[in-house]
Amino acid sequence: MRRTPAIAVATLTVAALALSACGRDNAAGGGSTQKAKDISSGKATGTLTVWAMGAEGDKLPDLVKEFEAANPGVKVNVTAIPWDSAHDKFTTAITAGTTPDAAMVGSTWMGEFAGLDALDPVPPSIDTSAFFEGAQKTNEVNGTDFGIPWYVETRLIYYRTDLAKKAGITTPPTDWDGLKAMAKAMQTKAGAKYGMGFQAGGQGSWQSIMPFAWSNDANLTKDGGKAYNFDDPKILEAVKYYQSYFTEGISDKAAPNTPTTEPDFKSGRVPMFISGPWMMSAVEKVGVKKDQYDVMQIPAKTKSSSFVGGSNFAVFKKSKNRDSAWKLVKWLADPKVQAKWYGMSTDLPSVKSAWDDPSISGDDKLAKFGKQLETAQAPPTFPTWEQVVTGFDTEMEKVTKQGADPAAALKSAQQQAESIGTGQ
Amino acid sequence: MTRTRSQWWLYIVLTLALLAVIAPFVWMVLGSFKTQGELLQNPPTWWPQAATLDNYTRLFSRLNFSQYFVNSTVVAVAVTAGNLIFCSMVGYALAMLDFPGRRALFLLVMGTLLIPGVVTFVPLFVLVTNVGLSNSLPGLILPFLVSPFGVFLMRQYISGLPRDLLDAGRVDGASELRIFGRIFLPLCGPALATLGILTFLGSWNNFLWPLVVAQEESKYTLPVALALYSKGQNSTQYGLLLAGATVVVIPVLAIFLAFQRRFIEGIATTGIK
Repeated sequence: MRRTPAIAVATLTVAALALSACGRDNAAGGGSTQKAKDISSGKATGTLTVWAMGAEGDKLPDLVKEFEAANPGVKVNVTAIPWDSAHDKFTTAITAGTTPDAAMVGSTWMGEFAGLDALDPVPPSIDTSAFFEGAQKTNEVNGTDFGIPWYVETRLIYYRTDLAKKAGITTPPTDWDGLKAMAKAMQTKAGAKYGMGFQAGGQGSWQSIMPFAWSNDANLTKDGGKAYNFDDPKILEAVKYYQSYFTEGISDKAAPNTPTTEPDFKSGRVPMFISGPWMMSAVEKVGVKKDQYDVMQIPAKTKSSSFVGGSNFAVFKKSKNRDSAWKLVKWLADPKVQAKWYGMSTDLPSVKSAWDDPSISGDDKLAKFGKQLETAQAPPTFPTWEQVVTGFDTEMEKVTKQGADPAAALKSAQQQAESIGTGQ
Repeated sequence: MTRTRSQWWLYIVLTLALLAVIAPFVWMVLGSFKTQGELLQNPPTWWPQAATLDNYTRLFSRLNFSQYFVNSTVVAVAVTAGNLIFCSMVGYALAMLDFPGRRALFLLVMGTLLIPGVVTFVPLFVLVTNVGLSNSLPGLILPFLVSPFGVFLMRQYISGLPRDLLDAGRVDGASELRIFGRIFLPLCGPALATLGILTFLGSWNNFLWPLVVAQEESKYTLPVALALYSKGQNSTQYGLLLAGATVVVIPVLAIFLAFQRRFIEGIATTGIK
């Protein structure tokens, strides 16, 4: 009698531990290539529920009003979702079967959602060759397209033109050695504390490191795109190069996790960094003048390349109004609509021909982003990518902050990746 | 002499502790009047250099603020009321009433405390959806009307009250409900105040559940709305976030102050020991 409570507690503890035990998320593979049904040619009808995150969710209702005007029978309800935990909201909705008809989907989520069999393959009447290739690839899971790139971004190197002049540099470098020499000159001649504001490892640092790996012609997958390839010698070269900025004191080992990029850029303390197009308005907001800075492509080892991000648009399998949902997505990919959306949101168009619009082609800095987008690449669409790259980011923190051996770090990242698997 | 000196030290320690607790709060309020540029400045400023009401203007003009405020209030008040009523009832039964399986029932309740919330999250959502409560305020309220922690808290507190009160009530012919409602509940002031504060805070600040259950912006609560407008994919509008946090925290402060007085009263009136 006395022992009953102890046994009960023990049983409950075991049960609780079993319940909380976690392994890899068991995303069943997307399987073989899926064949998509085409959509009808008439106008869109009925009601559509659409989810979109953050500022896009805030502004999308204004854009879809025009879609509703062109298709009088349709009503589009846009729900704006915060970026925080948006991923949780999607996966919960997928499990419970309460997904919307169509939604903006983070470009690194495609593999996972397609693996959960939640996404509808793109119908053949949508021309996927109109998009930037790197961005288009983020939609392709196991040979099937599950969405379209809606807007894109890529990473370039920002630098202060006035300080570069002081450092004796008038034409931006195009190779790795040139970039490092420039960053050094910023320190020795232009009074910068650090020449380059590289992220010292930690979450998301792969987005700064991989552009160099890709510029060295590295491939993040091997065996015909079936396995991770972190210990590739070409990636190793890029990581060694990245690490040298920290060992030579050009980048700050102790850079905070929430970097003070904008004010440091303005004060000239760190006059160079690598980031995406949103930083243009961010640095201008803190008082950097438009003619005080410029952007340059990632310098090449073999060919210049960068990371392509952004968001995709996808239709969910559970949609009761699939036909009209795809019509909306097709409309969003129209070059004219894309240019208009740039005007409303400053999101860069994913459709190449939309860049001919004077509002975009007239801007020198934007044009450089456009040029980089042609060669920019995306990480593999394995469902486990987000999980695997977290391990890589942690290894990179050891490399930058503690001077760990890059080869050993990549080997460890590769081992972790292999033990997790691709999830396909 | 020694006594005043020790008190002197005590005041220094207390003042420092108070400063440590209050400083982030003051920084939040002051920060809500700063521009994005000033907030990101290094070294940071304490007093706003160019104070602006811009963050508040944007907060109130862009957010459907009154709607979110009503949603948050309805949910938090209903959840708190539910917890106060049901947790004290269950806690009372487990502490005072004799019935077969009482001990097992208590252990079962305790056992649910061991199961992490993330484990039950998705099944709970599926359940709420199947019952047809997703995208509704009841869907935000019903699953949280009673909590194992609240039951535990009330049971422990009521266990410490004299059983004689129960016997006296029965001898005098009071009904069981009357004994609970008129004799024991008034004695539970401090426990109820604690439970009320904790539950209200938890519900008011809850983020993930309202985010997942609400399918339309009209059902969003304040934390969800705040996250929606202040955090972008690649950037955070800190000024807007701080202004929002300031506004969101005010009702919590008010509740806290109101309950604090009850809390002291509660201690004063439980004189039977």
